[in-house]
Amino acid sequence: MGLQRGVAIIGAGMTRFHHKIHADKTGRDLFVEAALEAMTSVDNGIELRDIEALFIGNFSSDSFEHQGHVAALMADWLGLTPKAATRIEAACGSSGAALNIGVMAIASGLYDVVMVGGVEKMRTLTTEEVTDVLAMASDEVYEAAVGFTFPGLYAAMATAHFHRYGSTWEQLCAVSIKNHHNGSLNPKAQFQEEVIDIARRLGERRGMTFKDEMEFLRSPLNPVVAYPLRLFDCCPISDGAAVVIMASEEVARKFTDTPIYVRGIGQASDTMALHDREDLTTIRATRLAAQQAYRMAGIGPEDIDVADVHDCFTIAEVVATEDLGFFPKGEGGKAAEEGRTSLEGDKPINPDGGLKAKGHPVGATGAAMACEIFKQLRGEAGKRQVRDAEVGLIHNVGASGATVVVQIYGR
Amino acid sequence: MFTVKDYRDALAEGYLLASKCRRCGAVQLPPRPICPRCGSGDLESLKAPKRGRVAAYTVIHVPPSRFKGEEPYAVAIVELLEGIRVSGRMLDVSEADLKVGLEVEADVIKLGEEPLLCFRPLKRP
Ligand SMILES: [Zn+2]
Repeated sequence: MGLQRGVAIIGAGMTRFHHKIHADKTGRDLFVEAALEAMTSVDNGIELRDIEALFIGNFSSDSFEHQGHVAALMADWLGLTPKAATRIEAACGSSGAALNIGVMAIASGLYDVVMVGGVEKMRTLTTEEVTDVLAMASDEVYEAAVGFTFPGLYAAMATAHFHRYGSTWEQLCAVSIKNHHNGSLNPKAQFQEEVIDIARRLGERRGMTFKDEMEFLRSPLNPVVAYPLRLFDCCPISDGAAVVIMASEEVARKFTDTPIYVRGIGQASDTMALHDREDLTTIRATRLAAQQAYRMAGIGPEDIDVADVHDCFTIAEVVATEDLGFFPKGEGGKAAEEGRTSLEGDKPINPDGGLKAKGHPVGATGAAMACEIFKQLRGEAGKRQVRDAEVGLIHNVGASGATVVVQIYGR
Repeated sequence: MFTVKDYRDALAEGYLLASKCRRCGAVQLPPRPICPRCGSGDLESLKAPKRGRVAAYTVIHVPPSRFKGEEPYAVAIVELLEGIRVSGRMLDVSEADLKVGLEVEADVIKLGEEPLLCFRPLKRP
Protein backbone atom coordinates (compact mmCIF):
# COMPACT_ATOMS: atom_id res chain seq x y z
CA MET A 1 0.00 0.00 0.00
CA GLY A 2 1.53 3.29 -1.06
CA LEU A 3 1.28 6.22 -3.39
CA GLN A 4 1.40 5.47 -7.13
CA ARG A 5 3.74 8.40 -7.54
CA GLY A 6 5.42 10.98 -5.33
CA VAL A 7 3.65 14.14 -4.15
CA ALA A 8 5.22 17.28 -2.65
CA ILE A 9 4.20 20.64 -1.26
CA ILE A 10 5.77 23.44 -3.31
CA GLY A 11 4.21 26.47 -1.63
CA ALA A 12 2.28 27.43 1.51
CA GLY A 13 0.56 30.49 2.88
CA MET A 14 -1.87 31.53 5.58
CA THR A 15 -3.56 34.55 7.03
CA ARG A 16 -2.82 35.44 10.60
CA PHE A 17 -5.36 33.57 12.73
CA HIS A 18 -7.27 36.02 14.89
CA HIS A 19 -10.49 36.76 16.77
CA LYS A 20 -10.64 40.50 15.99
CA ILE A 21 -8.50 41.79 13.14
CA HIS A 22 -10.53 40.04 10.43
CA ALA A 23 -13.84 41.53 11.58
CA ASP A 24 -14.38 43.31 8.27
CA LYS A 25 -13.44 40.31 6.12
CA THR A 26 -15.52 37.37 4.92
CA GLY A 27 -14.36 33.79 4.45
CA ARG A 28 -13.68 34.43 0.79
CA ASP A 29 -11.44 37.40 1.57
CA LEU A 30 -9.44 35.28 4.00
CA PHE A 31 -9.11 32.35 1.61
CA VAL A 32 -7.92 34.54 -1.27
CA GLU A 33 -5.35 36.18 1.03
CA ALA A 34 -3.94 32.79 2.06
CA ALA A 35 -4.01 31.45 -1.52
CA LEU A 36 -2.11 34.45 -2.88
CA GLU A 37 0.54 34.09 -0.17
CA ALA A 38 0.89 30.39 -1.06
CA MET A 39 1.26 31.25 -4.77
CA THR A 40 3.87 33.92 -3.99
CA SER A 41 5.84 31.49 -1.81
CA VAL A 42 6.57 29.18 -4.77
CA ASP A 43 10.29 29.78 -5.37
CA ASN A 44 10.32 29.77 -9.17
CA GLY A 45 6.85 31.28 -9.54
CA ILE A 46 3.51 29.72 -10.42
CA GLU A 47 0.52 30.93 -12.41
CA LEU A 48 -3.13 30.38 -11.57
CA ARG A 49 -3.49 28.43 -14.82
CA ASP A 50 -1.00 25.87 -13.43
CA ILE A 51 -3.52 24.91 -10.70
CA GLU A 52 -5.71 22.06 -11.96
CA ALA A 53 -8.08 21.54 -9.04
CA LEU A 54 -9.02 22.99 -5.67
CA PHE A 55 -9.83 21.01 -2.51
CA ILE A 56 -11.04 23.02 0.43
CA GLY A 57 -11.76 22.10 4.01
CA ASN A 58 -14.56 24.00 5.69
CA PHE A 59 -16.72 22.95 8.61
CA SER A 60 -19.67 25.28 8.72
CA SER A 61 -19.66 28.41 6.56
CA ASP A 62 -23.39 27.61 6.30
CA SER A 63 -23.91 28.36 10.01
CA PHE A 64 -21.17 30.97 10.44
CA GLU A 65 -21.69 33.02 7.28
CA HIS A 66 -24.93 31.80 5.78
CA GLN A 67 -22.87 30.66 2.83
CA GLY A 68 -22.80 27.15 1.41
CA HIS A 69 -21.06 25.78 -1.69
CA VAL A 70 -17.82 27.48 -0.71
CA ALA A 71 -15.44 25.50 -2.94
CA ALA A 72 -16.99 26.90 -6.10
CA LEU A 73 -17.13 30.32 -4.46
CA MET A 74 -13.39 30.28 -3.69
CA ALA A 75 -12.55 29.00 -7.19
CA ASP A 76 -14.64 31.84 -8.59
CA TRP A 77 -13.02 34.48 -6.40
CA LEU A 78 -9.52 33.23 -7.17
CA GLY A 79 -10.19 33.24 -10.90
CA LEU A 80 -9.71 29.46 -10.94
CA THR A 81 -12.93 28.57 -12.76
CA PRO A 82 -13.59 26.28 -14.64
CA LYS A 83 -11.20 24.05 -12.62
CA ALA A 84 -12.77 21.40 -10.38
CA ALA A 85 -13.44 22.69 -6.86
CA THR A 86 -14.62 20.45 -4.01
CA ARG A 87 -15.42 21.13 -0.36
CA ILE A 88 -14.54 18.49 2.24
CA GLU A 89 -16.18 18.52 5.67
CA ALA A 90 -14.89 16.57 8.66
CA ALA A 91 -15.48 19.07 11.47
CA CYS A 92 -12.12 20.37 12.79
CA GLY A 93 -10.39 17.79 10.59
CA SER A 94 -11.83 19.20 7.37
CA SER A 95 -8.66 20.50 5.75
CA GLY A 96 -6.63 17.53 7.00
CA ALA A 97 -9.04 15.33 5.07
CA ALA A 98 -8.73 17.74 2.13
CA LEU A 99 -4.92 17.35 2.24
CA ASN A 100 -5.27 13.58 1.97
CA ILE A 101 -7.62 13.94 -0.98
CA GLY A 102 -5.19 16.36 -2.65
CA VAL A 103 -2.40 13.78 -2.24
CA MET A 104 -4.62 11.03 -3.67
CA ALA A 105 -5.69 13.23 -6.60
CA ILE A 106 -2.07 13.77 -7.63
CA ALA A 107 -0.84 10.26 -6.80
CA SER A 108 -3.63 8.84 -8.98
CA GLY A 109 -2.16 10.62 -11.98
CA LEU A 110 -5.25 12.72 -12.57
CA TYR A 111 -3.62 16.08 -11.75
CA ASP A 112 -0.06 17.41 -11.52
CA VAL A 113 -0.74 20.54 -9.47
CA VAL A 114 -3.57 21.16 -7.01
CA MET A 115 -4.39 23.74 -4.38
CA VAL A 116 -5.52 22.47 -0.96
CA GLY A 117 -6.68 24.77 1.75
CA GLY A 118 -9.10 25.48 4.52
CA VAL A 119 -11.05 28.43 5.79
CA GLU A 120 -13.36 29.30 8.67
CA LYS A 121 -14.84 32.64 9.54
CA MET A 122 -16.26 32.05 13.04
CA ARG A 123 -16.35 35.42 14.73
CA THR A 124 -19.59 36.35 12.99
CA LEU A 125 -21.34 34.64 15.92
CA THR A 126 -21.28 35.07 19.69
CA THR A 127 -19.33 32.60 21.83
CA GLU A 128 -22.59 30.92 22.81
CA GLU A 129 -23.65 30.54 19.18
CA VAL A 130 -20.21 29.19 18.22
CA THR A 131 -20.54 26.66 21.09
CA ASP A 132 -23.81 25.52 19.51
CA VAL A 133 -22.29 25.18 16.04
CA LEU A 134 -19.26 23.25 17.31
CA ALA A 135 -21.52 20.91 19.29
CA MET A 136 -23.03 19.90 15.94
CA ALA A 137 -19.81 17.96 15.33
CA SER A 138 -20.73 15.61 18.20
CA ASP A 139 -23.65 13.18 18.25
CA GLU A 140 -26.67 15.49 18.45
CA VAL A 141 -29.12 12.87 19.70
CA TYR A 142 -27.01 11.02 22.26
CA GLU A 143 -24.39 13.58 23.39
CA ALA A 144 -25.38 17.19 22.70
CA ALA A 145 -28.99 16.57 23.77
CA VAL A 146 -27.96 15.56 27.31
CA GLY A 147 -25.79 18.65 27.66
CA PHE A 148 -22.34 17.78 26.35
CA THR A 149 -20.44 20.59 24.69
CA PHE A 150 -17.29 20.23 22.63
CA PRO A 151 -15.02 21.28 25.56
CA GLY A 152 -17.15 19.00 27.75
CA LEU A 153 -16.25 15.91 25.72
CA TYR A 154 -12.51 16.56 26.04
CA ALA A 155 -13.02 17.40 29.71
CA ALA A 156 -14.59 13.95 30.15
CA MET A 157 -11.58 12.37 28.43
CA ALA A 158 -9.38 14.29 30.87
CA THR A 159 -11.18 12.90 33.94
CA ALA A 160 -10.82 9.36 32.57
CA HIS A 161 -7.12 9.96 31.79
CA PHE A 162 -6.48 11.48 35.24
CA HIS A 163 -8.21 8.53 36.87
CA ARG A 164 -6.43 5.83 34.87
CA TYR A 165 -2.90 7.26 34.73
CA GLY A 166 -2.70 9.76 37.57
CA SER A 167 -2.03 12.59 35.13
CA THR A 168 -2.86 16.05 36.46
CA TRP A 169 -4.33 19.39 35.51
CA GLU A 170 -0.93 20.95 36.33
CA GLN A 171 0.54 18.85 33.51
CA LEU A 172 -2.10 20.26 31.17
CA CYS A 173 -1.01 23.75 32.20
CA ALA A 174 2.51 22.92 30.99
CA VAL A 175 1.04 22.33 27.52
CA SER A 176 -0.71 25.70 27.57
CA ILE A 177 2.36 27.59 28.82
CA LYS A 178 4.58 25.92 26.20
CA ASN A 179 2.16 26.62 23.34
CA HIS A 180 1.78 30.26 24.36
CA HIS A 181 5.59 30.56 24.40
CA ASN A 182 5.78 29.13 20.87
CA GLY A 183 2.93 31.39 19.75
CA SER A 184 4.91 34.40 21.01
CA LEU A 185 7.51 33.52 18.35
CA ASN A 186 4.99 33.13 15.50
CA PRO A 187 3.86 36.30 13.66
CA LYS A 188 0.80 34.40 12.33
CA ALA A 189 -0.41 33.34 15.78
CA GLN A 190 -3.57 34.72 17.35
CA PHE A 191 -1.90 35.00 20.77
CA GLN A 192 1.72 36.12 20.67
CA GLU A 193 2.08 36.50 24.39
CA GLU A 194 3.56 34.30 27.12
CA VAL A 195 1.11 33.20 29.82
CA ILE A 196 3.15 35.07 32.44
CA ASP A 197 2.84 38.30 30.43
CA ILE A 198 -0.91 37.80 30.07
CA ALA A 199 -1.05 37.23 33.84
CA ARG A 200 0.77 40.53 34.47
CA ARG A 201 -1.37 42.45 31.99
CA LEU A 202 -4.72 41.13 33.25
CA GLY A 203 -3.55 41.28 36.87
CA GLU A 204 -2.61 44.95 36.64
CA ARG A 205 -6.07 45.78 35.36
CA ARG A 206 -7.64 44.06 38.38
CA GLY A 207 -5.04 45.09 40.94
CA MET A 208 -3.84 41.50 41.32
CA THR A 209 -0.28 40.19 41.24
CA PHE A 210 0.75 36.62 40.49
CA LYS A 211 4.09 35.14 41.53
CA ASP A 212 4.08 32.71 38.63
CA GLU A 213 1.95 31.26 35.82
CA MET A 214 0.38 28.60 38.03
CA GLU A 215 -0.94 31.11 40.53
CA PHE A 216 -2.59 32.95 37.64
CA LEU A 217 -3.95 29.76 36.06
CA ARG A 218 -5.52 28.76 39.41
CA SER A 219 -7.12 32.19 39.80
CA PRO A 220 -10.63 33.33 38.83
CA LEU A 221 -9.00 35.05 35.84
CA ASN A 222 -8.80 31.55 34.35
CA PRO A 223 -12.43 30.43 34.75
CA VAL A 224 -13.65 26.87 34.40
CA VAL A 225 -15.18 26.16 30.98
CA ALA A 226 -15.91 22.46 31.49
CA TYR A 227 -14.36 20.95 34.61
CA PRO A 228 -11.44 20.16 34.75
CA LEU A 229 -10.69 22.34 31.74
CA ARG A 230 -10.34 26.08 32.21
CA LEU A 231 -10.09 28.89 29.69
CA PHE A 232 -6.33 28.41 29.20
CA ASP A 233 -6.92 24.71 28.44
CA CYS A 234 -9.10 25.64 25.45
CA CYS A 235 -8.23 26.87 21.99
CA PRO A 236 -9.79 30.20 21.07
CA ILE A 237 -12.44 31.01 18.47
CA SER A 238 -10.66 32.27 15.37
CA ASP A 239 -11.01 33.54 11.84
CA GLY A 240 -8.48 32.46 9.26
CA ALA A 241 -7.44 30.52 6.19
CA ALA A 242 -4.45 28.43 5.13
CA VAL A 243 -3.43 27.07 1.74
CA VAL A 244 -0.76 24.75 0.34
CA ILE A 245 0.06 23.98 -3.27
CA MET A 246 0.85 20.36 -4.04
CA ALA A 247 2.58 18.97 -7.11
CA SER A 248 3.61 15.61 -8.49
CA GLU A 249 7.21 14.58 -7.97
CA GLU A 250 7.75 14.94 -11.73
CA VAL A 251 6.86 18.62 -11.89
CA ALA A 252 7.65 19.75 -8.31
CA ARG A 253 11.31 20.59 -9.07
CA LYS A 254 10.25 22.90 -11.89
CA PHE A 255 8.65 25.10 -9.23
CA THR A 256 11.19 24.85 -6.41
CA ASP A 257 14.56 23.34 -5.51
CA THR A 258 13.21 22.52 -2.06
CA PRO A 259 9.89 20.66 -2.36
CA ILE A 260 8.67 19.01 0.83
CA TYR A 261 7.64 15.45 0.03
CA VAL A 262 4.66 13.56 1.39
CA ARG A 263 6.17 10.41 2.95
CA GLY A 264 3.04 8.85 4.35
CA ILE A 265 -0.65 9.52 4.88
CA GLY A 266 -3.29 7.91 7.07
CA GLN A 267 -6.90 8.45 7.99
CA ALA A 268 -9.36 6.66 10.25
CA SER A 269 -12.81 7.09 11.72
CA ASP A 270 -14.35 6.00 15.00
CA THR A 271 -17.72 6.06 16.72
CA MET A 272 -19.35 9.47 16.65
CA ALA A 273 -20.21 9.38 20.35
CA LEU A 274 -17.32 9.43 22.81
CA HIS A 275 -19.15 7.03 25.15
CA ASP A 276 -19.08 4.30 22.47
CA ARG A 277 -15.28 4.31 22.20
CA GLU A 278 -13.36 1.24 23.26
CA ASP A 279 -11.19 3.34 25.59
CA LEU A 280 -11.98 6.88 26.80
CA THR A 281 -8.32 7.73 27.42
CA THR A 282 -7.15 7.22 23.86
CA ILE A 283 -8.23 8.30 20.38
CA ARG A 284 -8.15 5.04 18.46
CA ALA A 285 -8.47 6.80 15.09
CA THR A 286 -5.18 8.60 15.86
CA ARG A 287 -3.41 5.30 16.52
CA LEU A 288 -4.78 3.76 13.33
CA ALA A 289 -4.13 6.78 11.09
CA ALA A 290 -0.59 7.04 12.50
CA GLN A 291 0.08 3.33 11.89
CA GLN A 292 -0.92 3.76 8.23
CA ALA A 293 1.26 6.85 7.80
CA TYR A 294 4.29 5.36 9.58
CA ARG A 295 4.02 2.16 7.53
CA MET A 296 3.80 4.08 4.24
CA ALA A 297 6.77 6.24 5.23
CA GLY A 298 8.72 3.23 6.46
CA ILE A 299 9.58 4.98 9.70
CA GLY A 300 8.41 5.09 13.31
CA PRO A 301 7.53 7.77 15.87
CA GLU A 302 11.18 7.96 16.97
CA ASP A 303 12.07 9.34 13.51
CA ILE A 304 9.78 12.39 13.74
CA ASP A 305 11.79 15.59 14.33
CA VAL A 306 8.84 17.97 14.70
CA ALA A 307 5.06 17.53 14.89
CA ASP A 308 1.98 19.72 14.73
CA VAL A 309 -0.72 17.90 16.71
CA HIS A 310 -4.37 18.73 17.30
CA ASP A 311 -4.43 20.51 20.68
CA CYS A 312 -7.98 21.88 20.55
CA PHE A 313 -7.73 21.34 24.32
CA THR A 314 -4.58 20.79 26.39
CA ILE A 315 -5.64 17.22 27.20
CA ALA A 316 -5.89 16.57 23.45
CA GLU A 317 -2.18 17.31 23.00
CA VAL A 318 -1.29 14.97 25.86
CA VAL A 319 -3.43 12.15 24.45
CA ALA A 320 -2.15 12.78 20.89
CA THR A 321 1.51 12.60 21.85
CA GLU A 322 0.80 9.22 23.45
CA ASP A 323 -1.38 7.85 20.64
CA LEU A 324 1.14 8.95 17.98
CA GLY A 325 3.74 6.85 19.84
CA PHE A 326 5.97 9.72 20.98
CA PHE A 327 5.56 8.77 24.63
CA PRO A 328 4.25 5.66 26.41
CA LYS A 329 0.51 5.68 27.20
CA GLY A 330 -0.15 7.74 30.29
CA GLU A 331 3.16 9.63 30.15
CA GLY A 332 2.24 12.46 27.75
CA GLY A 333 1.47 14.88 30.59
CA LYS A 334 4.72 14.08 32.36
CA ALA A 335 6.66 14.59 29.10
CA ALA A 336 5.08 18.04 28.67
CA GLU A 337 5.87 18.94 32.27
CA GLU A 338 9.51 17.89 31.78
CA GLY A 339 9.86 20.17 28.75
CA ARG A 340 10.37 17.32 26.30
CA THR A 341 7.81 18.83 23.89
CA SER A 342 9.30 22.35 23.92
CA LEU A 343 11.26 23.79 20.98
CA GLU A 344 14.49 22.61 22.62
CA GLY A 345 13.07 19.27 23.82
CA ASP A 346 13.68 15.87 22.26
CA LYS A 347 10.20 15.86 20.65
CA PRO A 348 9.14 19.42 19.78
CA ILE A 349 5.35 19.64 19.51
CA ASN A 350 3.39 22.54 18.01
CA PRO A 351 6.29 24.95 17.38
CA ASP A 352 3.76 27.38 15.84
CA GLY A 353 1.82 27.66 19.12
CA GLY A 354 -0.67 24.93 18.28
CA LEU A 355 -4.40 25.48 18.19
CA LYS A 356 -4.11 26.95 21.69
CA ALA A 357 -2.03 30.00 20.77
CA LYS A 358 -1.93 30.04 16.98
CA GLY A 359 -5.74 29.85 16.91
CA HIS A 360 -8.27 27.38 15.52
CA PRO A 361 -10.44 28.51 12.62
CA VAL A 362 -11.64 24.93 12.53
CA GLY A 363 -11.73 24.19 8.79
CA ALA A 364 -8.33 25.84 8.24
CA THR A 365 -6.40 24.02 10.94
CA GLY A 366 -5.11 20.96 9.03
CA ALA A 367 -3.87 23.12 6.16
CA ALA A 368 -2.19 25.48 8.63
CA MET A 369 -0.37 22.48 10.15
CA ALA A 370 0.93 21.58 6.68
CA CYS A 371 2.07 25.21 6.23
CA GLU A 372 4.03 25.01 9.48
CA ILE A 373 5.73 21.70 8.70
CA PHE A 374 6.56 22.99 5.18
CA LYS A 375 8.32 25.97 6.76
CA GLN A 376 10.00 23.91 9.49
CA LEU A 377 11.44 21.37 7.05
CA ARG A 378 12.72 24.13 4.77
CA GLY A 379 14.37 25.92 7.70
CA GLU A 380 12.13 28.96 7.20
CA ALA A 381 10.37 29.02 10.57
CA GLY A 382 12.30 31.97 11.99
CA LYS A 383 12.49 32.26 15.78
CA ARG A 384 10.48 29.09 16.30
CA GLN A 385 12.68 26.95 14.01
CA VAL A 386 13.30 23.43 15.31
CA ARG A 387 16.98 22.65 14.73
CA ASP A 388 17.81 20.13 11.98
CA ALA A 389 14.16 19.26 11.33
CA GLU A 390 14.06 16.83 8.42
CA VAL A 391 10.95 14.74 9.06
CA GLY A 392 7.67 16.27 10.26
CA LEU A 393 4.20 15.00 11.14
CA ILE A 394 0.78 16.59 11.20
CA HIS A 395 -2.19 15.26 13.17
CA ASN A 396 -5.64 16.76 12.55
CA VAL A 397 -8.73 15.62 14.45
CA GLY A 398 -12.43 16.00 13.70
CA ALA A 399 -14.41 16.81 16.85
CA SER A 400 -13.81 14.31 19.69
CA GLY A 401 -11.89 11.87 17.46
CA ALA A 402 -14.42 10.40 15.02
CA THR A 403 -12.12 11.54 12.19
CA VAL A 404 -8.32 11.66 12.33
CA VAL A 405 -5.81 12.45 9.59
CA VAL A 406 -2.06 11.96 9.97
CA GLN A 407 0.51 12.96 7.37
CA ILE A 408 4.28 12.64 7.39
CA TYR A 409 6.51 14.94 5.36
CA GLY A 410 10.21 14.86 4.59
CA ARG A 411 12.78 16.91 2.71
CA MET B 1 -34.61 -2.08 12.34
CA PHE B 2 -34.09 0.15 15.36
CA THR B 3 -34.41 3.90 14.89
CA VAL B 4 -33.66 6.87 17.12
CA LYS B 5 -37.40 7.15 17.76
CA ASP B 6 -37.45 3.68 19.35
CA TYR B 7 -34.84 4.79 21.89
CA ARG B 8 -36.60 8.08 22.58
CA ASP B 9 -39.98 6.37 22.99
CA ALA B 10 -38.46 3.90 25.44
CA LEU B 11 -36.81 6.75 27.32
CA ALA B 12 -40.16 8.51 27.58
CA GLU B 13 -41.50 5.31 29.15
CA GLY B 14 -38.63 5.33 31.61
CA TYR B 15 -36.30 2.61 30.37
CA LEU B 16 -33.09 2.33 28.34
CA LEU B 17 -33.52 0.47 25.07
CA ALA B 18 -30.50 -1.49 23.83
CA SER B 19 -30.05 -3.91 20.95
CA LYS B 20 -28.51 -7.37 21.14
CA CYS B 21 -27.08 -9.15 18.12
CA ARG B 22 -28.69 -12.57 17.58
CA ARG B 23 -25.59 -13.73 15.71
CA CYS B 24 -22.67 -12.66 17.93
CA GLY B 25 -24.36 -11.48 21.13
CA ALA B 26 -22.89 -7.96 21.11
CA VAL B 27 -25.00 -5.41 22.98
CA GLN B 28 -25.40 -1.82 21.78
CA LEU B 29 -26.82 1.07 23.74
CA PRO B 30 -28.53 3.02 22.21
CA PRO B 31 -29.79 0.35 19.80
CA ARG B 32 -28.38 0.27 16.28
CA PRO B 33 -29.70 -0.99 12.95
CA ILE B 34 -26.52 -3.00 12.25
CA CYS B 35 -24.26 -4.85 14.68
CA PRO B 36 -20.91 -2.98 14.56
CA ARG B 37 -19.05 -6.11 15.70
CA CYS B 38 -20.20 -8.65 13.10
CA GLY B 39 -22.29 -6.68 10.59
CA SER B 40 -25.50 -8.63 11.20
CA GLY B 41 -28.86 -6.90 10.88
CA ASP B 42 -30.56 -9.56 12.99
CA LEU B 43 -30.97 -7.78 16.31
CA GLU B 44 -33.34 -8.09 19.22
CA SER B 45 -34.30 -5.50 21.81
CA LEU B 46 -32.96 -5.56 25.33
CA LYS B 47 -33.68 -3.42 28.36
CA ALA B 48 -30.34 -2.11 29.62
CA PRO B 49 -29.72 -2.15 33.36
CA LYS B 50 -30.25 1.17 35.11
CA ARG B 51 -27.37 0.92 37.52
CA GLY B 52 -23.80 1.62 36.55
CA ARG B 53 -20.61 3.50 37.33
CA VAL B 54 -19.30 6.86 36.18
CA ALA B 55 -16.53 6.28 33.61
CA ALA B 56 -15.89 9.95 32.84
CA TYR B 57 -17.55 13.25 33.66
CA THR B 58 -17.45 17.00 33.39
CA VAL B 59 -19.17 20.02 34.86
CA ILE B 60 -20.30 22.41 32.15
CA HIS B 61 -19.79 26.07 33.05
CA VAL B 62 -20.16 27.46 29.51
CA PRO B 63 -23.40 25.93 28.21
CA PRO B 64 -24.89 25.76 24.75
CA SER B 65 -27.81 28.12 24.23
CA ARG B 66 -30.47 25.45 24.80
CA PHE B 67 -29.23 24.87 28.36
CA LYS B 68 -28.44 28.49 29.16
CA GLY B 69 -29.17 29.34 32.77
CA GLU B 70 -28.73 25.74 33.96
CA GLU B 71 -24.95 26.07 34.34
CA PRO B 72 -23.04 24.77 36.11
CA TYR B 73 -24.42 21.31 35.38
CA ALA B 74 -22.73 17.91 35.33
CA VAL B 75 -22.68 15.40 32.49
CA ALA B 76 -21.32 11.88 32.81
CA ILE B 77 -20.46 8.89 30.68
CA VAL B 78 -21.79 5.93 32.63
CA GLU B 79 -20.82 2.29 32.16
CA LEU B 80 -23.93 0.11 32.60
CA LEU B 81 -22.49 -3.20 31.44
CA GLU B 82 -18.89 -4.14 30.63
CA GLY B 83 -17.99 -1.77 27.78
CA ILE B 84 -21.57 -0.51 27.36
CA ARG B 85 -21.70 3.18 28.11
CA VAL B 86 -24.08 6.05 27.61
CA SER B 87 -24.04 9.80 28.24
CA GLY B 88 -26.47 11.44 30.63
CA ARG B 89 -27.02 14.39 32.91
CA MET B 90 -25.82 13.98 36.51
CA LEU B 91 -28.27 15.15 39.16
CA ASP B 92 -28.18 15.44 42.96
CA VAL B 93 -24.41 15.29 43.25
CA SER B 94 -21.93 17.87 44.47
CA GLU B 95 -18.81 18.63 42.47
CA ALA B 96 -16.74 17.15 45.31
CA ASP B 97 -18.60 13.83 45.26
CA LEU B 98 -18.59 13.40 41.49
CA LYS B 99 -15.82 10.93 40.70
CA VAL B 100 -14.89 8.22 38.23
CA GLY B 101 -16.25 4.99 39.70
CA LEU B 102 -19.22 6.61 41.46
CA GLU B 103 -22.21 4.22 41.50
CA VAL B 104 -25.26 5.77 39.87
CA GLU B 105 -28.78 4.90 38.81
CA ALA B 106 -30.55 6.09 35.67
CA ASP B 107 -33.74 8.11 35.67
CA VAL B 108 -35.63 10.03 33.02
CA ILE B 109 -36.85 13.56 33.54
CA LYS B 110 -38.76 15.84 31.23
CA LEU B 111 -36.98 18.82 29.77
CA GLY B 112 -39.80 20.71 28.09
CA GLU B 113 -41.36 18.08 25.85
CA GLU B 114 -38.20 15.98 25.52
CA PRO B 115 -37.24 13.10 27.83
CA LEU B 116 -33.74 13.60 29.24
CA LEU B 117 -31.59 10.71 30.46
CA CYS B 118 -30.08 11.49 33.82
CA PHE B 119 -28.22 9.70 36.61
CA ARG B 120 -28.26 10.08 40.38
CA PRO B 121 -25.78 8.69 42.91
CA LEU B 122 -26.91 5.29 44.16
CA LYS B 123 -25.96 5.94 47.75
CA ARG B 124 -26.67 9.43 48.94
CA PRO B 125 -23.54 10.78 50.59
ZN1 LIG C 1 -23.07 -9.16 15.88
